[in-house]
Amino acid sequence: MKKLFGHYRLRDFKGYLYLMPALIILLVFTAYPLFKAFLMSFQEDYSIINGSYDGINLENYRELFEDDDFLKALTNTSIYVVFVVPISIVLSLMVAVLINNCGKRSKGIFQTLYFLPYVTSVIAIGIVWSWIFNSNYGLLNYFLSFFGIDPIPWLNEPDYALPALIIFSIWKSMAFNILIFLSGLSMISQDIYQAARIDSTPRLRVFFRITVPQLKPIIVYAFMMGFINAFKVYNEVFSLFQGKAGPADSAITVVYYIYDKFYNSADYGVASSAAVVLFIIIMVLTMIQRYVTRDKEA
Amino acid sequence: MKRFNKTITAVFAAAAMAGVLAGCGSSESAETTTAPATTVAEASETAADTGIQPTEVTFWHSMTGQQETTLQELTDQFNAENEYGITVTILNQGGYDDLRTKLTANAAADTLPDLAQTYPSWLIPFLDKVVPLDDMVANDFDDYEDILENYREENSQFGFISGLPFNKSTYVYFYNKTMFDELGLEAPETWDDLIHIGEVFKAEKDMVSLGADDMAGFLEAAIRQNGGEFVSEEGALFDNEIGQEAFDYIMNMYNNGYARLVGEDGYFSGPLSNQLIPAYIGSSTGVSFITHEDWELGVASLPGHKQDAANTAGTNIVMFSKDANQKKATWEYMKFLTSAEATTKWAIDTGYLPIRTSAYESEEYQTFMENDPTARAAYGQSEAFFSSPAFDGSADVTSEVNATLEEVILNKEDSTEALKAVVEAVNDAL
Repeated sequence: MKKLFGHYRLRDFKGYLYLMPALIILLVFTAYPLFKAFLMSFQEDYSIINGSYDGINLENYRELFEDDDFLKALTNTSIYVVFVVPISIVLSLMVAVLINNCGKRSKGIFQTLYFLPYVTSVIAIGIVWSWIFNSNYGLLNYFLSFFGIDPIPWLNEPDYALPALIIFSIWKSMAFNILIFLSGLSMISQDIYQAARIDSTPRLRVFFRITVPQLKPIIVYAFMMGFINAFKVYNEVFSLFQGKAGPADSAITVVYYIYDKFYNSADYGVASSAAVVLFIIIMVLTMIQRYVTRDKEA
Repeated sequence: MKRFNKTITAVFAAAAMAGVLAGCGSSESAETTTAPATTVAEASETAADTGIQPTEVTFWHSMTGQQETTLQELTDQFNAENEYGITVTILNQGGYDDLRTKLTANAAADTLPDLAQTYPSWLIPFLDKVVPLDDMVANDFDDYEDILENYREENSQFGFISGLPFNKSTYVYFYNKTMFDELGLEAPETWDDLIHIGEVFKAEKDMVSLGADDMAGFLEAAIRQNGGEFVSEEGALFDNEIGQEAFDYIMNMYNNGYARLVGEDGYFSGPLSNQLIPAYIGSSTGVSFITHEDWELGVASLPGHKQDAANTAGTNIVMFSKDANQKKATWEYMKFLTSAEATTKWAIDTGYLPIRTSAYESEEYQTFMENDPTARAAYGQSEAFFSSPAFDGSADVTSEVNATLEEVILNKEDSTEALKAVVEAVNDAL
């Protein structure tokens, strides 16, 4: 018995040893900052230089919710999420189904093409899109001119800044969604489709009755990842508006606000409380989503 | 293992020795400060001779292209010529934003470099890490009064000398001289001239004729040109008639289509190069981004109103060294970079401005200015230089003013409403 016990302990120990590098990295770079951000959000006038603060209270949160910029950032981010995630997923699903119906060789080509935005630097893509949106020379306004639409100052007017950001982000986030939908589609058994073909089921019906239900776990996953990523939008803003948050800060997002408060204003407490609020929003939404989409049979 | 231990011991012993020696040096120089004035220079020189041990100094900067090349040349020269065996390593940290972010993070970790380029406002969170230079300037510096007054003021606003000026520029008025000649226009000298130019360009060419790269800077200059003051730690100082007049002028320019925001262009050097705008106000270093092959570029000092006022920009070099020997070594390098000779070379090679009056007056720089309209325009307004004060929250003020000004201009607010909105934004930010 004793020997057995010792044996197990040795094995446990070895297991932990293997896990250690990952655990240490996780503790230092994820767990500790998370804990520290929570702490900082309650410390009034916290200084990261010498660790001093005026007291532990809710002052940072009061300041946060009285700040118009934060409320604007929250509104903008919500609008952004509501538009980007569903539209991107619907479009991606359509493109994925189309690619899946292609011949083998063209399938590979399209797969690569659609995946390119994912592997290209956001900053580089942002520069390209800021030219597409350019009010004088932009491609987008050129195309719109065919339909008799006057040039739209996408990046110069507050009213168009957020729509421009949303268009750009939908395009950008499609790459990842298409990829996971394609892998999901390849896993659906061909037998089901064959059965449908024998019954000469209309294509649309096949899509809604077979493809979508079979893809459900993947779609749920895409929604969840999409929501989480969309709430954290920052790079897209930074790259599209050349380091600013759009004309008159009209496209400010929560993460942009956090970064600005932390590094530009040295308001470490307020930045942390904004980060905590964002964390709670994402957590609650993820929980709701899991509850709504839970597998009822299980 | 044994050998390794020995090495370690040797290293520690050497370090301890160096510490002792450095200690000697510093006590010696402390004594010399109390010596009679006539012998100070000589005494501190001997103190320096015996007081600095060979060491390495790191300098964090944001210079790129030609600027970095010249900085490296100057540094190589210092490394080769200094008699103490000091080796300075310059390390590029990316753009100004990256540099500031890294400095803040390293201040928190207490791992700041010996020397870095900084704007005064960056220092506010970690002011206690800055080495005050007052004693060194008083005892061991070549003619401090020779440095332009505005730069000295900028570097003593925290109650001690926090740095020395390094890469300095100023805002000037760039214009398309070919277009101006065609319309019979001269470079503007006053606000009224700017409005007149605006009217002519609008009527004759249906063009917007002015832009400003930095809106907050444009507003601050206008308020100062009208004899007022901008902001302090307490809040906006322009909620008065002087401020209202400045806003009347600015909103008149924008609401009537004589001026426009930079928007998607980022900087006006592009539209000026492409002849889409005939003039703009921006940093003198922006000249390197202007291409003018088939038209003539004109550069003028900033138009004034009741008085002249011209924004300065660019960073200072600030010391964070800790031990006495490091401080002395860094100081040697700082003295070198701010010497008349080095600042003249720096200015001629990079387009930044000399920081010393004697450098401006040197034959070398005078010859250079004859062929360089930007340098002439900058020199022409050097008496009117001002720099924005740095205080807790000054960075917030700048970003709020920028955003609010953009907003009132985009909404075409009248100037009373515009003033109210900007005053409110400033006071809310503090």
